Amino acid sequence: MKPLATTRSATGIPTGRLAIWWILASEIVIFGGLIGSYLMFRLGHPEWADAAAHTNTWIGAFNTFVLLSSSFTAVLAHQAAEKGEGKLAAKYLSFTILGALTFLVVKSFEWASEISHGYTITANGFWSFYYTAAGLHGLHVIAGAIIMAFIAKDAAQNKELHRVELIGIYWHFVDVVWIFLFPLLYIAK
Amino acid sequence: MSHAVTADSHGHAHDAHDHGPQGILKYIWSTDHKIIAMQYMFTGMIMALIGGFMAYVFRMQLAFPGQSVPGFGVVSPGEYNSLVTNHGSIMIFWVAMPVLIAAFGNYLIPLMTGADDMVFPRINRLSYQIFLISAILIIASLFVSGGGFGGAWTAYPPLSSMSEYSLTKLGSSMWLLAVALEFVAFLLGGINFIVTLMNARAPGMKAYDIPIVCWMIVIASILFMLSVGPLIAGAVMLLFDQMIGTGFFDPTRGGDPVLWQHLFWFFGHPEVYVVLLPAIGIVIEIIATFARKQLFGYKIILYTAIVTGILSFFVWAHHQFIAGIDPRMANVFTVTTLLISVPIAEMMFVTVATLYGGSIRFTTPMLWALAFVAEFLIGGVTGIFLGASGSDIYLHDTYFVLAHFHYTFFPIAIIGTFAGFTYWFPKMFGKMMNETLGKIHFWGTIISFNFIFIPLFFLGIGGQHRRIYNYENFPDLIAGQPLRVVATVAMLAMLAFQVVFFINLFSSLKSGKKAGNNPWKANTLEWTTTSPPPHGNWPQDEMPKVYRGPYEYSHPDRDEDYWPQNLPS
Amino acid sequence: MSGHNINYKKIYYTLLVLLVISVAGPFLGIFWITMLTAFGIALVKANLVIQNFMHLREERRIIKWILVTSLVLMALMVAGVAPDVYKHDGQNWENIAAKAAVARGIDDGAADHAATDDAAADHADEEADNSSVASGFDARGAYNGICAACHGTAGDGAGPAGGAMNPQPTDFTDAAFWADRDDARIFNVIKNGAAAVGGSPSMVGWSTTYDDEQIEGLVQYINSEFRPH
Repeated sequence: MKPLATTRSATGIPTGRLAIWWILASEIVIFGGLIGSYLMFRLGHPEWADAAAHTNTWIGAFNTFVLLSSSFTAVLAHQAAEKGEGKLAAKYLSFTILGALTFLVVKSFEWASEISHGYTITANGFWSFYYTAAGLHGLHVIAGAIIMAFIAKDAAQNKELHRVELIGIYWHFVDVVWIFLFPLLYIAK
Repeated sequence: MSHAVTADSHGHAHDAHDHGPQGILKYIWSTDHKIIAMQYMFTGMIMALIGGFMAYVFRMQLAFPGQSVPGFGVVSPGEYNSLVTNHGSIMIFWVAMPVLIAAFGNYLIPLMTGADDMVFPRINRLSYQIFLISAILIIASLFVSGGGFGGAWTAYPPLSSMSEYSLTKLGSSMWLLAVALEFVAFLLGGINFIVTLMNARAPGMKAYDIPIVCWMIVIASILFMLSVGPLIAGAVMLLFDQMIGTGFFDPTRGGDPVLWQHLFWFFGHPEVYVVLLPAIGIVIEIIATFARKQLFGYKIILYTAIVTGILSFFVWAHHQFIAGIDPRMANVFTVTTLLISVPIAEMMFVTVATLYGGSIRFTTPMLWALAFVAEFLIGGVTGIFLGASGSDIYLHDTYFVLAHFHYTFFPIAIIGTFAGFTYWFPKMFGKMMNETLGKIHFWGTIISFNFIFIPLFFLGIGGQHRRIYNYENFPDLIAGQPLRVVATVAMLAMLAFQVVFFINLFSSLKSGKKAGNNPWKANTLEWTTTSPPPHGNWPQDEMPKVYRGPYEYSHPDRDEDYWPQNLPS
Repeated sequence: MSGHNINYKKIYYTLLVLLVISVAGPFLGIFWITMLTAFGIALVKANLVIQNFMHLREERRIIKWILVTSLVLMALMVAGVAPDVYKHDGQNWENIAAKAAVARGIDDGAADHAATDDAAADHADEEADNSSVASGFDARGAYNGICAACHGTAGDGAGPAGGAMNPQPTDFTDAAFWADRDDARIFNVIKNGAAAVGGSPSMVGWSTTYDDEQIEGLVQYINSEFRPH
């Protein structure tokens, strides 16, 4: 049984959505701390450009495409959920999960290839940040995909449809983080 | 322990709402905010006893170096480092934070805003469970091979990142993991507090009708949430440095140890205000109630709290004046540090102005609250010397810093907690505490506290460095030995007086006088329900509505000197 | 919330076009165009996603304040930290280690490009450089890194941290010291600390840092370097 408190809304913003925005604020400072540290090091160490030259822009671009598409299906799921079409929302969410899995599979092949070339996390400062930032982002992808699977299961039975929007907002945030990681780690060489 | 205590006070809770696990499991798996608050409260108290025991061991070593400490044995240098490090970490992360924010926040926010529970009860329970795991992890780290982490609670690299220096490979990583888990627990809890206060207020409760303590806990949660992120990122980096040999903080490999100091203090300084603000909130509630007078300047307090919160993000580098930052930055941070004393001083003036002309009742909670104002003042004033970079260069890393720190954190974490605990005890358990024992405990604790830390100010100005294991090795510092003995004896006295508190606690729980709904004749909503409140806080059809602010004491139009928030006018 | 009048498909195609531009940018080889297409377009893309997919544009003002505050705080953090971390010089200070790392890295990088850009070979070189550390135990390095802080690099007990100790750290060059010492006892002290044999607790045990073989190496080193003959 839900407490009465959950149903109140003094601000006019539904409780779940308000909480998601606060979670994103706390995520912004986590990724902000990491990316900020990376930026300072990168600008202070011109020699890192040599290491950055070994990243594969095409794989990065493909993964950006995958995440953008999964965001697109997530927003379509939200649209369907608003109309009360739980089954359709679940279908779109499963496309998004598929996107997450594609992203992770591509990422693991990319990392395996880099590690086999000797570019391990301890190879130099750039690679340390490369694996740490992308790894932290990857953890968010995994967590998002798992939560989304539960929400899709509920949504297929037309239960808790408002959660489709919440996981969507979170997923778009994961997408936005990658939008910044992509130029930082791949394009700027 | 917490389950046994709460068991009899909440025994009737399941009558109203028969769902979820039964029996003892109900207290472990409960999502009720009051039970979670008690779990935090008593876990915090147990951790405080552990942290206090550590202080006892290393204070004994400092006063009587090399001799066997009763209950511990001879203290080795490694053990000494580990004891001071974990004393600091435990007292801040596992005592001050869980008790002041999590316990009081969980207990008070729904009750004071007229809600039946937190908005996310299961996330609330998850937050406590993660916190419990982190507490077990930090204690376990003391017993692994190599011993507990000994690189100070600030964990500066390379001491924390390279086991060649720290000699505690496993202990350092477990310490770091425990701290990171604790952060996660408070992020989850903090989101709950913020959203509950923003959204779940009783009908009629406008922004300026919210009791100050709720504001303070929520502002503190926001500060915590926005400052801890970089440190979480830093903790991941440090963990990689420790465990897989990256070089984020290793200058020979392109890293920078000063970066860790910045990431740590960018969190570490707002953290001071994270625990300070709830303590001030508690004190203000108590002073307004027992001065029987309308709070002087509700809005002033609220705005100064917000200003303090904003300013607290601009002062962090004053911890690093001689730790390798650009000296020009030191000028900037000196100015901001001196500025932040203004809003805090303003809050102190507000408490004094509230007392002025009131009909003050010296109950035990009121004594604690007044002691908070007095003792924190000493802490604040000595902070000015440390905030100014010129004098800080001399005083840095001496016992002066240590004494200043304890004059701020002891009032916050111990005095503030006792104030709040004795004030809300009747609501929590339905019984009154014994006033005589309470006053003995109060005076014993306060007097011995001053005898511990005033000598340390003198030792610090005399040049005594903080991180020395045996002062007999330093001929210049042997002269201070009598003062160290005074501090240690006072600390033994203070520990002994805590026994009085526990006697009082258990005897009051068992046979205390029954407290009515509103023993202090206070206005806020938590006093309108029964003591202890049932599951759901109020019967579903009698959820309170709010008609006025929380501090309408001695209103000229009323016969009674208080005016509860929920009474229609 | 209902009634979003957003054409999601249009936004999605715009995002894809922007992605193509950001990948194509670097091929022109002009630095500022690369920066613009990389980060300028990232900002535009992020803004599109946040405003339209996350519906921030229809959200209450307080949400915008929350997000902006956290971003501003990160900018503040970078501004406060950058003078120490990004810069390697300041008023009366210089970060020698960082400068050395930059110089070393640029040299390596030049060699890297010359040697047909073969990363594996480069990595193997690095391994070879460190082989003395990785495979065998470097007793001299360990002594100078750890022991010398108190006992001094010359073994005379006059290390920088030892001066204030009472009793003073052992002077290995003193013949009187060796009169009643054997290797087993020195081994025991290094491993378990001097308190184990009744000496000063300031000499702690090192069993968690060094295994028996490495401690044996240290004993040999002390013997061969400092023992008067």
